[in-house]
This record gives sequence, structure tokens and C-alpha cells, in this order.
Amino acid sequence: MPKKYHIDIKATPLNRDFVSKFKIARGENCINCGKCTKVCIYEAHKRGAKDPRKIDDPHMALCKNCFRCIQECPRGALVKSLDPDFLALGGSYWKPDMLLSIWKQAEDGKVPVSGAGYRGPFTGPGFDGMWTDMSEIVRPTRDGIHGREYISTAVDLGRKLNHLNFADTGSLASNIHQTVDLPIPIIFDIPACKLSNNIMTSFVMSAVAAGTFAIMPANDISADIKQYISNIIPLVSPDKITAHQSLISGARLVAIEYATALLNDFGSVKDSIKKISQAVTIVRIPAMTGIEDAVTKLARSGAEVIHIVADYRGMEAPGLRQRFLKDVVRAVHLRLIEERIRDEITIIVSGGIAMAEHVPKAIICGADLIAVDIPLLVALGALLYEQPEMTITLPDWLEKLPAATVVQRIVNLMGAWHSQLLEVMGAMGIREVRRLRGETGRAIFFDEIDKDTFGKLFQQRETASI
Amino acid sequence: MPSRFKHKVPKYKVTRSDACINCGMCAKSCPYGVHERIEGHNKMRPPIDYKCIGYECRKNDEFYCVYKCPRKALSLSLNPMYETLGDCRWTSDMIIATWIMAETGYPPERTDIGYQTGNSDGGFDKLRLKFPVNPLKVERDEISTELRLNRRNDGRSNVVISTPMYGGGMSFGSVSLSTMLSKARNATIWNTFTCTGEGGYPEMLYPYDDHVITQVATGLFGVREETIQRVRIVEFKYAQGAKPGLGGHLLGEKNTESVARMREAVKGTSLFSPFPFHSVYSIEDHKKHIDWIKQMNPKALVSVKVSTPNDVDMVAVGSYYAGAHIIHIDGGYGGTGAAPDIAKKNIAMPIEYAIPKVHNFLKEEGARDAVTLIASGGIRTAHDLVKAICLGADGAVVGTAEMVALECVRCGNCESGRGCARGIASTDSELADLFDDEWATQRIVNLYHAWNYQLVEILQKFGMKSVSELVGRTDLLEHVDYS
Repeated sequence: MPKKYHIDIKATPLNRDFVSKFKIARGENCINCGKCTKVCIYEAHKRGAKDPRKIDDPHMALCKNCFRCIQECPRGALVKSLDPDFLALGGSYWKPDMLLSIWKQAEDGKVPVSGAGYRGPFTGPGFDGMWTDMSEIVRPTRDGIHGREYISTAVDLGRKLNHLNFADTGSLASNIHQTVDLPIPIIFDIPACKLSNNIMTSFVMSAVAAGTFAIMPANDISADIKQYISNIIPLVSPDKITAHQSLISGARLVAIEYATALLNDFGSVKDSIKKISQAVTIVRIPAMTGIEDAVTKLARSGAEVIHIVADYRGMEAPGLRQRFLKDVVRAVHLRLIEERIRDEITIIVSGGIAMAEHVPKAIICGADLIAVDIPLLVALGALLYEQPEMTITLPDWLEKLPAATVVQRIVNLMGAWHSQLLEVMGAMGIREVRRLRGETGRAIFFDEIDKDTFGKLFQQRETASI
Repeated sequence: MPSRFKHKVPKYKVTRSDACINCGMCAKSCPYGVHERIEGHNKMRPPIDYKCIGYECRKNDEFYCVYKCPRKALSLSLNPMYETLGDCRWTSDMIIATWIMAETGYPPERTDIGYQTGNSDGGFDKLRLKFPVNPLKVERDEISTELRLNRRNDGRSNVVISTPMYGGGMSFGSVSLSTMLSKARNATIWNTFTCTGEGGYPEMLYPYDDHVITQVATGLFGVREETIQRVRIVEFKYAQGAKPGLGGHLLGEKNTESVARMREAVKGTSLFSPFPFHSVYSIEDHKKHIDWIKQMNPKALVSVKVSTPNDVDMVAVGSYYAGAHIIHIDGGYGGTGAAPDIAKKNIAMPIEYAIPKVHNFLKEEGARDAVTLIASGGIRTAHDLVKAICLGADGAVVGTAEMVALECVRCGNCESGRGCARGIASTDSELADLFDDEWATQRIVNLYHAWNYQLVEILQKFGMKSVSELVGRTDLLEHVDYS
């Protein structure tokens, strides 16, 4: 039996405080009676280690917002508020709660489980506008949490044939293209901010540990990093292929920068790469109006893998309209189906992948796999701000972290995301992530169901009263 | 039944600056008791924030202390603590309002606390009730809020509940015995029901058998002939709205000695119930399941609890043909004691879409009048209850609302460690002692009273004599987006 894919998670606290959501201030009327230390079951309040006559400031990372200290303090001396540093994080797409959740998953590698029902908005733009579907009727395929070892998250990248030709003798006449197998439908995209050589090396090592790939601009691949080339996807521009010959010859996957000229000469660019190595080629193209046409043309010209890149909020480039990634993927996927060519190529999407749930959702919309960038940095303590312009700040202590710690943090995050993918697939009764691709019949889209239910109910009456 | 804690969570913050000369004008004017001045003391006491009615008071030139203060030393703002309490589904106002209902038995009189809708920007929060201008005149005591649960007329118990709602299943282990007892005692007082949840039937519930629903879930904990035979309703839990496709979750630390004994499990191990019922793979299997219960208890009604995937309507019809009396659909935004965050929001549809789907499908099949359709999953207020009925349900099951009545703050930490810090969702011996049964029972009784009061008021405004007249009346609803 082939070895089962497993990500080794290991609790890796950094003993650094990330941001905390709440702030508790102790007023001057505190009499240090210690009641708070008795009622807090999370031990956030403690008597001063140096001066036990005074109560220390509460350790906010431990505070779980239960309100007991607030409500039981004999003097009402404790006041809670939302921490302004927490509120300042992120922006319209990247919410502070998302960043906190990524931090926690990087710490313990576990599926986040909590009590109380969902506390967020009913729907929203982006991936919030869709739910996956679980069927009460399709029961035998559901194995739940006990059957997760039967669920495959493997994908293969490369060009596939839509039929096989056999010779009269019965032997295979078709030329099967090279594909690259990945145990998880996630690859690491180019880091959203510049990393030092040390950290970048650890970053690549975590891709190796997780059994996946990291995309890197060819020029940035230093000598220390080059040794991991079989888990790196060098990104080259079409005119620099010979210049990066040695990298390409060692790589299993090579990414090519998109330029409009590529629509016409993709064939020759691909040939020049295949002369150097058997690497599978990926065309890296920004999400934009008309992308369906570009992808179709590339597919017809022999493209093997196409990587569609949206901006950090998942939006395509502004044009006639500006669609969110899930709608771009759906459009591309459906067009390729119309063209009868969908199964022959692999589609990767990235941009705005912020939570574990985005992985199955993007795949349901039509992607084969996703590439992730920002969450990997948040796992290492990065803070993201959307206003006035997108900035990512890395913590100053990052450089001093041992390589093994950096690697484990990213591996933990991927372990948690992988487990959550299994949870969702298990609940849906889908055993192969390949089968999940494009399964919009097993998804519920807000726009459609709202129109179908409330639209019909409330607009019908409008026409009736005219 | 007041709070068991010393302080309330205030909505406003009244700040007194150093400009104050202690003249006591504010203490004389404020009828709500926010300001206190003690004779002989030369300093005003700090303002009692939670008594302040906030910006509404601006209308009152007579006593708005901010205007009246000769030194302009007072200022009013929203209390930063208030923002840390709620979220967009259960807003701070809604939590405080529920606490007031649990304390007094009536909805809040203060007009600044919005308790009718939340802030989720969809679903119930976008629906409004359309009251007729000249309704039929109906007296309060003419109005019936009864709900008949057995509409099959098959000779089994003719169960009628006095208010169209009952308590959701919460297992022993996920919540304390006190919590379960107070739910059961409330159900007895209100002539309705509560459900045992998945974790077995504690002995302490025996006096309340007639008002308890035994839940048969995939873990089959504590399911024995005798627990099926002692009740009037048995509920099959196939799935739950907060985590469709997954079974019950009880994390290790909450599996205490007594819980493990009840569930015949090993103390300290995490218990994840299987999914689905591995004995049910078809509608015929489902019928066999129902027949099994009916055979064991010739009088009991059978309720089938399912989540809300796209095919929920077919499941409902199938259940009807298999012999169920109650179809209980649990929507995606429902509460839970423990669920993976990814499951809570991303699987199956919100209840608001599922109710009309099932209601209409059952009508088309000609089966609607023979089953009772119960909706749950985010029924937070009496207004949500009414909207759910207008969309097509006969009644609702509530979960989180009962917890909030017991002073849950929705911190969301029910599942881990010792469980609920406030003693509601915990079987930890120290925490489970944080409140007594008398107090808890009265709080939930008050909540049901406040909701029933609002329901009757709404029926009166519609000129209706019975809550059953409201079922499926989507013409009495309007939607903020479609008009």
C-alpha cells in the first residue's frame, strides 16, 4: 500500500503575544482583594510575582471574554474594551479575527473547534457568499471523522489526454504527458513581502516538509536555496529561459510570466523549456477581463497548467467589471468545459486565500488547486494592514527564530488546513478532492438561493398588486 | 430573577470631569438613579452606568444631566465594554434584552435596546412583519398559542404544547445537570418539552418524563428500551445545523467521571459520534428505524431532526412516508457546544431558506397537514419565532436563547477545558455549582413568558385568534431588499 499522506503537526508556541482582541484595564479603585484571581478559570489574573500585594495586569492572551471578573469585582474596577491594535489590523477583506485564527492554527496545527454558533454576517462578498452542501440522502459515501483516512487530497498537475489511442496490437499508442503528483491541493505562492535569505530558506524547507512546492522568482533563488529545487517552482519570463537553464533543468515545475505575446508563441516557449528538462510548465496569468479567452487560447496551444492570480483581496484587475476570484474561476472553468478541453489542463488560483474554507470553496468553483501566500507569513507573526495601502510588517524577532521553528509553524498551518479540508469533504461525502473540482451542484450560492426563495416570495407580490 | 453577578454590563458610559463642583443637580434630576450624592460627603459617587438610558434621554430637557449640569462636567458615550459582548448575530442589545426578559418575564421597556432583530445583514434580520391597518379586534385572552404535535391521528399520544416552542437537545456532558433540570422544569411549567440531547437520560429527569424528549443520536449513548418507553416523544437526531455531516463532539476534558459513566465511555477521552447512522442508508432503513421506536413505545410520537442541505425537502417528504410525526429542520446558523469553526458557517443552508422549501414541498405532496414542521438554528427572539412561522414552520426549537437566559455571554468557550466559565455548559463540579436550580428554572420560565407575551401581542396586531393562523403567511412579511 502506498504510504498515507500525513502532515506532522507539533505544538509550537512562540511565547510571543500576537495581538489580542480584548483589553482589560484595572481602575484606581482596585483594592487588590484578589477576587478576580479566584473567579478567572483561565488564570489570566494573577497576584504580582514580585509584589504579591498588588494584582498584575491581566494576561490578555489567556482571556476568553467570559465577563466574570468584570461582573464579580467588588469595586467594579475592571473595564473591558476592544483592543485598538486589534481593530487596526487588516481591513475590508482581511479581518483581524482571521489573522488571529491563522496564528492559533500555526501554533497548534489543529482544527479550530469552539462552542456557540457562527457569529459572523449572514453572507458577504467573496467566499462568504457560498455554502458547501451536505446531502442527507447520499449517505453511504459519508464516513465522517472516522473515515478520513479514506479521503484523498491528492491532485496531479500537467496536461492530460481526453482519450487514449491503442494500436491494433492492443498496445498503447498515445503519448502520456508528464504530470507531477501533489498530496495536497495547496502550493506556496511567492511571499507577499521580501524575506531574508534565512527565512526564505526555512520557508522553502517547510514546503518540502509538507510535500508541496514553493514558487520563487528565478532571480531570487540563491545558492543555499537551490538545493531544494525539486520542491521549488522557479518563475521565469519567456525571454530569460536560457539564462536560467541550470535551475530549469533541476526543477519538476516551471512557471512562466504571462505577456500578451505568449498567446501567440506559447508553443515555442514551451518547446524551449522541454529541450532543457521534463519540467511541467505553468503559465502565471493575472485575473482580468477576458481571461476566459486567454486561458482557452493557451490551452489550445498546449498549455499544461495555468495559474490565475488575483490581488490580495481576491479581486481581478479593474476592467469592464471587477469580479471576485470565485466568479473568475467559475467563468474560466465553465468556458473550458464549453470548449471541451477542461479535463486536459490544470488550473491553479491564488489571491485572497485567507482561510481553510477557501480551499474547498475555490475547488468547488472550478480550480484544481490553490496557491497561498499571506497566511504563511501570518503564521510567522506578520501583521497586515489594508489602509492606507497594503502593508505587511514582519516581527523583529523573526530573524532569530531557529529554522526548525519557522518550518514547524508553517507546517502546522498546513496541517490544520489539510485537516479542515478533510472535515468538509468528509461531511460532504466526497472522497477525492479531484471529484470536488467544479462540483457546484454540491454548493449553495447566496445570490441564487436568495433570489429563488425571497426573490420569488417578495417580488411576486409586487407584480400581483400592479 | 436578577443576575447572579454583582455588576451588570452597561451600555453607556457617563463620564464626570474635574469641572464638577458636586452641586448635586444631576442627582436631583435623574429619575433613573444614575447619579448619587450622599449628604455629608463632598464628592459625588461615580455614575451608575448601567442605569442610564443613554441618548434617548436627550429628548428630556427636564433631566438630561449632560445639559442640566451647570459646569458641563458630564458627557455620555457608548460604553466600550458593550462592544465586547455581542456580535452580529447576537448583538449586545439582544443579549442584554434577553437577560432583562429572563429577569422580569417581559421584554425591555427601554426603547434604546433593539431586541427584535440582530445585525447579521441577512435572513431574519432583513425580514419585517407587515401589520394590517385595521385588524380584527381580538382580546388577549381569546388568543391561543397552542400547538398540536400529533397531526397524523394515528391513535398515538395527542400531545399539545401550550406555546409553539420547546428546548433543544443539549447532552449531559455538554451542559450541567442543573442546566438540564432547569430546562425540564420549565418545560413542565409551560407544558412543552425539552430534549435530552445525545448524552443519555439522567435519573434526575425522571420526575419530568412527560415533558422530556429522548434523543436517539448516532452515538446511541444511553439509548435503552427504558429511556424510549418513559417519554411521549422520541427524537432521531440525524444531523445538526451547526455541523452537518459530522457527529456530536465532546472534548476529553468535559468527559468527566459522571459523564463517562452515563455514556459508558472512558473518562477523559474525546467522544466524536459517528456520522451518519450506520444502520440507515436508505429511506427504507429510516422507516425501519421509526418502526423500531414505534414498536417499543406504542404511544410515543417520533420526531426526525435533520440539517438543511439542498435535498432537505425530499428528506422531509421521505420522513413523512416513513411515519414521522414531527419534522425538525436545524439550520446552518444554529448554536452548539462544540463544532469545528469551518463547519459552522460553510455547510448547508440557513434556516430561513429551508423553511419555505420544506413547507412548499410538503404542501405539493399533500402531506403538509399531517406533519408538524419545527424549525431551529438561529431562532434568537420572539420575532425570529414569528418570522419562522410566517415562512411556513408550525413552531420552533430554541437552544442558545435558553443559555443566554441563564446569563451566557456567548464567549464561545463551551467546548474546552472545564467548559463554561459561567457554569452553564460544564459538568465540572465547582463550575456546575455556580447557580441553583430554582434560579435557573425561573430565568427560563421568564424567558418563555416574555416570548409568549410578544407572540400574543403580535397575533393581536394581526387580528388572529390562534398561532396556527400564522403558518405560511409569507404575505405578512416584507423583505428589506425586495420592495
